[in-house]
Amino acid sequence: MRGRISILLVPLAASALLPFAVFRANRIAAGEPRSLIETLGTAGASAALLALGLAIAALMVIRQPLWRLGVAVPLLVSLVLAMGWGAARLGADAPTAARIGPGAGFWIALTLAGLLLIDALARLRPGPAARLGFAAGAVALVWLLLGSGVLAELSVMEEYRSRSAAFWREGGRHLWLAFGSFGVAMAAGVPLGIALARAPRLRQPVLGALTAVQTIPSIALFGMLILPLGWVAANLPGAAALGIRGIGMAPAFVALLLYSLLPIVANTVAGLTGVPRSVTEAADGMGLTRRERLWRVDIPLAAPVIVAAARIVLVQNIGMATVGALIGAGGFGTFVFQGIGQTATDLILLGALPTVALAFVTSAVLDAAAGLLPGAAP
Amino acid sequence: MIEFQSVSKLYDGLAAVDDVSLTLERGTLTAVVGTSGSGKSTLLRMVNRLVEPTSGRVLIDGADTASVPPAQLRRRIGYVIQDTGLFPHWSAARNIATVPELLGWPKAQIRARVRELMEVLQLDPDAIGPRRPHELSGGQAQRVGVARALAARPALLLMDEPFGALDPVIRGQAQADLRRVQRQLGTTVILVTHDMAEAIRLGDRIAVMREGRIEQFAAPAEIIAAPATPFVADLLGEGDRAFRLMSLRPAREIAEPGAAEGPMLPAGSSLAEALAEMIWTGRDRLPIAGPDGRAVGVVRRDAVIRAGRPEAGPE
Repeated sequence: MRGRISILLVPLAASALLPFAVFRANRIAAGEPRSLIETLGTAGASAALLALGLAIAALMVIRQPLWRLGVAVPLLVSLVLAMGWGAARLGADAPTAARIGPGAGFWIALTLAGLLLIDALARLRPGPAARLGFAAGAVALVWLLLGSGVLAELSVMEEYRSRSAAFWREGGRHLWLAFGSFGVAMAAGVPLGIALARAPRLRQPVLGALTAVQTIPSIALFGMLILPLGWVAANLPGAAALGIRGIGMAPAFVALLLYSLLPIVANTVAGLTGVPRSVTEAADGMGLTRRERLWRVDIPLAAPVIVAAARIVLVQNIGMATVGALIGAGGFGTFVFQGIGQTATDLILLGALPTVALAFVTSAVLDAAAGLLPGAAP
Repeated sequence: MIEFQSVSKLYDGLAAVDDVSLTLERGTLTAVVGTSGSGKSTLLRMVNRLVEPTSGRVLIDGADTASVPPAQLRRRIGYVIQDTGLFPHWSAARNIATVPELLGWPKAQIRARVRELMEVLQLDPDAIGPRRPHELSGGQAQRVGVARALAARPALLLMDEPFGALDPVIRGQAQADLRRVQRQLGTTVILVTHDMAEAIRLGDRIAVMREGRIEQFAAPAEIIAAPATPFVADLLGEGDRAFRLMSLRPAREIAEPGAAEGPMLPAGSSLAEALAEMIWTGRDRLPIAGPDGRAVGVVRRDAVIRAGRPEAGPE
């Protein structure tokens, strides 16, 4: 395995030959590549190449996962710092309208360093608490890098500065869409799953219907919800006051909710029916009532499977909420679609990067949380 | 006292239990023996209403079980199953505390009871108590299951193949423990097993079941001496009958005054053990120990063999 992951070191070395940065005369102009030497200067580039070479050599020799982690993390951080400094250096003698963004070399190196880091982490086999610690550490590190101003000259950060109010507003809407619809889906889906676990005859029809919903493309589902929700808003007193409209937040929220149901309901059923027969038999035999058995035995033992569904649903929702911007639901997707409209890559990144980060962190946190549950498999 | 009054259970018109009437005395251990599908588990599960009889009644100390809500009834009856059914997300101690917790005992009392039971069953409360079931050996898990069933001091204990998953050495130990604990606490026990040797070893009385009916209900010695039907005889295994009977009777019963050479036979040995010892060591007279460990007499080989015949049996 170590041999195979070491293959990544070859493209990592080669990435130094690709353009490290991209220079644009203004935010929508075509990009011009800038090599590592052009970006960091001769001295800077030499230092960067030396550091990269040392890191690659170290990763070829070191087997201990903790030490590999000790190489991969600084490598990743220095890459980002180098990008920030390079952007500042290129921006210093360019007109104010000019934009400097990361180039292919940077992205490839970043991805490969990230993979090496994840590989080292996985080999450490950290417990759930340690995984939560790593996730928190990663968030803190990103926060520190963004807050330090080192990256201020990067084009994405310039896009952020001119829209910081909108960024946080849309971010809030994005969270509300993804987590709100998830919350409602859990509140409806878990009880539905419990009911289906007890009524095997209803299982196939209901799960079949939810599967059918899952097959509708998201944009089509948004479109299909515009009419009924528009009708509700127009005809149901108070509905419009609650913010229910044919377009905007309401149809996106409902669509995400519908998509969320299948994983939650199906996993709740699987979790509950997976409780060993001897355990339910013992619980009944000792005189636990149905309700007591549900809360003390069935749900705790099904919880890891249900949390696995929660993780799938949240990651799916965070990604899919982006598309909601098409029907005016807001969220980070707003920047993506504006960026596409203006052919401004940096603006697309402003929407895409936080979405990816959010999904990543949510997934890591829920993954670790599942391991902390008392019913988790030993 | 447990009474089954004309109890039947039909599944799709087929009788799993067919018109069974039985009376089990308080404080005794009754072994229900049969092949798989004989209805023995169904009969057991009708006592705590995990299975409801199609017709007939089950009375505990004169009260119809059907008049008590199932959950309430079951909390007064211990229940042990083959796979232990321990809750995998709880520690051994918390598993044992299940029924006292349901009954709302005070926390300190529950803790004390858990410790007490773990000591009775020879489980170290500090070492084993905090462990989760997957960290226990088979024998430990089985004992935790028994402790859990006894936690709320039930007068009645139901056991469905409780030792089936244990290896022979551990099983022998677990059987001895059960007999000791049962005598110590005076619990009435119904034990379902497919193993005739286990039934003979443990049961005060044995009920042999076949196709939902009781073939014979009697003390072990009587079952061995006079099997009521060919099926019972089959279950006993003809060739083993003498040894089964000899394994029931204590050697001390046939001890005579006198002395003999060589190591002493321990106080609780059966005739079968005495004979095995004679064959193994090539002696025809063994000194036998009394309860205090000192020699009280001798056991002679011809007396052992004579006592192994039903005519000379206790009944």
